[in-house]
Amino acid sequence: MTSLEPAARLGASPEARIAAALRGAGLCFDADRGQADVEAQAGDWADLHVDLMRPRGLRRWWRPQVRFQNDGRVPFEPFPADAPLPLMEWSANWMLGRRCNHVLLLHAGVVERDGHALVMPAMPGSGKSTLTAALSLHGWRLLSDEFGVLDVERLRFRPALKPVALKNASIDVIRALAPGAELGPSFPKTRKGTVAHLAPSREAVDRVHEPARPGAVVLPRWVPGSVTRLEPVAAPVAFTTLAFNAFNYTVLGAAGFDAVTALVQRCPVWQLEYSDIDDALHALARRWPEVVARAQANVEGDGA
Amino acid sequence: MPLPNGPNAPNDRPPAGAAALAWLAALREPQRACAWSLAQWQRHVRLARRLRLLGRLAESVIGAGLLPQLPEPVRAHLVAEQRYARARTLALTWALDRAGAALGPVGPRVLLKGAAYIGQGLAIAAGRLPSDVDLMVPAPVLQAAQAALVADGWAETPMDAHDQRYYREWSHEVPPMRHPAHPIELDLHHNILPPVSRNTVDAARLLERLQPSQMPGWQVLHPQDQLLHSAAHLFFESEARDRLRDLVDMDGLMRHFGADPGFWAGLPQRAQALGLAEPLAMAMALAVRWLGTPVPAEVQQRVRAIGPGPLGRAWVSMLFSALLDPGDPDRLPPLRQTLAAQALLLRYHLWRMPLKLLLPHLWHKWRSERAAELERPGDAGPAA
Repeated sequence: MTSLEPAARLGASPEARIAAALRGAGLCFDADRGQADVEAQAGDWADLHVDLMRPRGLRRWWRPQVRFQNDGRVPFEPFPADAPLPLMEWSANWMLGRRCNHVLLLHAGVVERDGHALVMPAMPGSGKSTLTAALSLHGWRLLSDEFGVLDVERLRFRPALKPVALKNASIDVIRALAPGAELGPSFPKTRKGTVAHLAPSREAVDRVHEPARPGAVVLPRWVPGSVTRLEPVAAPVAFTTLAFNAFNYTVLGAAGFDAVTALVQRCPVWQLEYSDIDDALHALARRWPEVVARAQANVEGDGA
Repeated sequence: MPLPNGPNAPNDRPPAGAAALAWLAALREPQRACAWSLAQWQRHVRLARRLRLLGRLAESVIGAGLLPQLPEPVRAHLVAEQRYARARTLALTWALDRAGAALGPVGPRVLLKGAAYIGQGLAIAAGRLPSDVDLMVPAPVLQAAQAALVADGWAETPMDAHDQRYYREWSHEVPPMRHPAHPIELDLHHNILPPVSRNTVDAARLLERLQPSQMPGWQVLHPQDQLLHSAAHLFFESEARDRLRDLVDMDGLMRHFGADPGFWAGLPQRAQALGLAEPLAMAMALAVRWLGTPVPAEVQQRVRAIGPGPLGRAWVSMLFSALLDPGDPDRLPPLRQTLAAQALLLRYHLWRMPLKLLLPHLWHKWRSERAAELERPGDAGPAA
């Protein structure tokens, strides 16, 4: 996935505010034809071209809307004009999920430490995004909060950087955890409640082309009042969780099956039950040297 | 772009936009693509994806072993689309296999369009992204066929009472059906054009000349009828833009079946017998002009003779030139394209339905679209 610096220097249109909020995104924004510096940043190649436009006519004034436009088409319903960033984020996710079939797209948050990836598959109520965001603010490099991009030939995770979408209570959890965290504006009353976006760190952006070896798979479960626990999970359970939540598992066929199988056989798979996010972060950091050692032993075992 | 041999009337020169379509030749001559710069690749990948031709480009280039010569991001997108098109084709093949089993003795059953190209193993089927699967059975067994499919889990997509009635009374197909196990829509037809249209096709004549396919239990139309169906589709489809793929299909069909001289013999007569002389004449002329389709000069002459007069020809040709231009990858359809599409759509509707059916239908469509637009909640977006 080609990652390019987003357009940060657009003019004074609503579109400009969107792009500015997307600091460190892994997408190319061809947001405004009229501005040469944006064109230059786009370069000769982008994986996805997006125009966020205000429709003309009645809709400019009456319940104004913002429209997502891609390759000369309007594939989705417009959003209210004051929610361009959520429209951008959901639409771009949808389109990348449809077209990036050269890689396996797990529905997972991924962070990296010591060259190895921690993969957190998305399950309803798992708090995957919150935990991904929290880890990315505590010494882990963010690869993605949405797409676990697995190169099935090399069995490496590739970054797919974009702003981390935080929902409802997560926003305050992250603010409390890291008061300096760079959060964009809150968008109330979207389909998923209130949404705000966390910018990836400078380091994550600078290292956006650097892949990570598989480290561990963690299935997070936020249980109020619980004591932090990491319990091993059987490989078949981990397999179904990863494979059947992937965006394009069926498209990849046997290649996808082989990659997910290899992943759950090589990596430790744990269920993480937690209520205190600080404690959960410490538990993961404590176990990580063991994960890295095991991964390196695997590599030596392969003779690689 | 090579011009075919033969007489070219003044308006048969390649249109101004034809140079912009020269890249389409890479679908059959992939070496051409090796000369493209990254910026050209970007443009062609975007246009091809919109036209649902990126899979064909991918199969062509990868099949020729040219992938290692291409820039990295291009490779990724071609591999990705090849996988996607193959997965869709596999889904279609499986759905056909299951639908065939469900239909049991009901038949004869016919694959149309993309399904037929896959069922015959045609070169144009490789990478051709199927959006749905089109099937045809004789009208007398349509009910039985639909009942058998419903019994197997296929269900009509929900629609309002007007649309239901439209399909039942005026259309040449039953409402589209979906199945929880198959990620593809099934369109069951009893004809290739609506029965109420003034120039309806006599389906019995199509059924007289069915050919076997490579899929057990499924037949296909005669090659001439496949071409005529594709021409009718290009002509009467209601979609406003990106119908260039129909023309590319026709080009592929003529290149493939045209190798047999028997294919051309009797083609004009067949078009007349089915009432599709005008679509054939116009579509063939467009394919020759825009895509350099090699049609024998004598065939071009005979087909032109059964087509519309100079005035109708110029008019339709102008509209199609505007309509088929894929335009800029960043732009929505320009106004002249929208207007051309509207004009052709009106023509199509007049062809398709008598005025006393058409006016209430258009009124209902306009009203329900208005209603939907006003009710539409702003945040009904795609799933995250």
